[in-house]
Amino acid sequence: MTQPCILIVDADVLIRHPLAEYLRECGFRVLEAASATEARQVLEEGRLPIDVVFADVDASGDGFALAAWIRGNHPVVRVILAGSHATAAESAGDLCEDGPIAAKPYDHQFLLAEIRRLLAARERNKDRD
Amino acid sequence: MREPERQPAPRAPCVLVVEDDTLVRVAICEDLREAGFSVVEAAAADEALSYLGAGQRIDLVFTDIQMPGRLDGIGLARRLRARDPGLPVVLTSGNAAPPDDLDGAVFLPKPYDHRRVAEIALELTGPQRREAE
Repeated sequence: MTQPCILIVDADVLIRHPLAEYLRECGFRVLEAASATEARQVLEEGRLPIDVVFADVDASGDGFALAAWIRGNHPVVRVILAGSHATAAESAGDLCEDGPIAAKPYDHQFLLAEIRRLLAARERNKDRD
Repeated sequence: MREPERQPAPRAPCVLVVEDDTLVRVAICEDLREAGFSVVEAAAADEALSYLGAGQRIDLVFTDIQMPGRLDGIGLARRLRARDPGLPVVLTSGNAAPPDDLDGAVFLPKPYDHRRVAEIALELTGPQRREAE
């Protein structure tokens, strides 16, 4: 089985890097982007099929627009939006599968469980189709 | 009979890759990880300094010279070498000619073979170098 690929979008290397390393240790292939623009470039290039995008709405510049763009252009990619403001979290609810689930500081184990849940749900949907 | 003392697993050398071209950075970092390195990615010099300012340790810096922001790759290398004069630095650029003052850094012109990056990283962080120190 190929490793699921996660794209983490966060401008803060001190937040992005530890999360990326944790997910790598858990067996995921992890790509990192410092902004929404970088994330689009990685998705557009398509060298590695991305399964889940985890994006910080606050730090990545335009996380909401990124999520909407992913929905329109890469509908199989699951999106988790995270933010530290309640209003941002509310808005994110419309763009994620089950609403925003993460607030800073991120609980790595909780995020891991959420990523696994999204991937499992996607597999179930595939089986149904 | 005494149990042999268990040695801790050796830490993978850590390479800080500073490159504003996302796709180039992602590809280099993937290759370095596959070669066994621990890799920290930064899209600009400020991000690299932010990481190091938090007290994180690295064994090698691989940085593009032309980057947006307050510092280019040469300025970043100077700042890092001022803190740690023995830190190996690899500078890369689309300009074929190396800068006048490399200050001990290795220069790798673009475009380069990504495997060459891992080879250089190994040469600069490998056991021979550590034994020589």
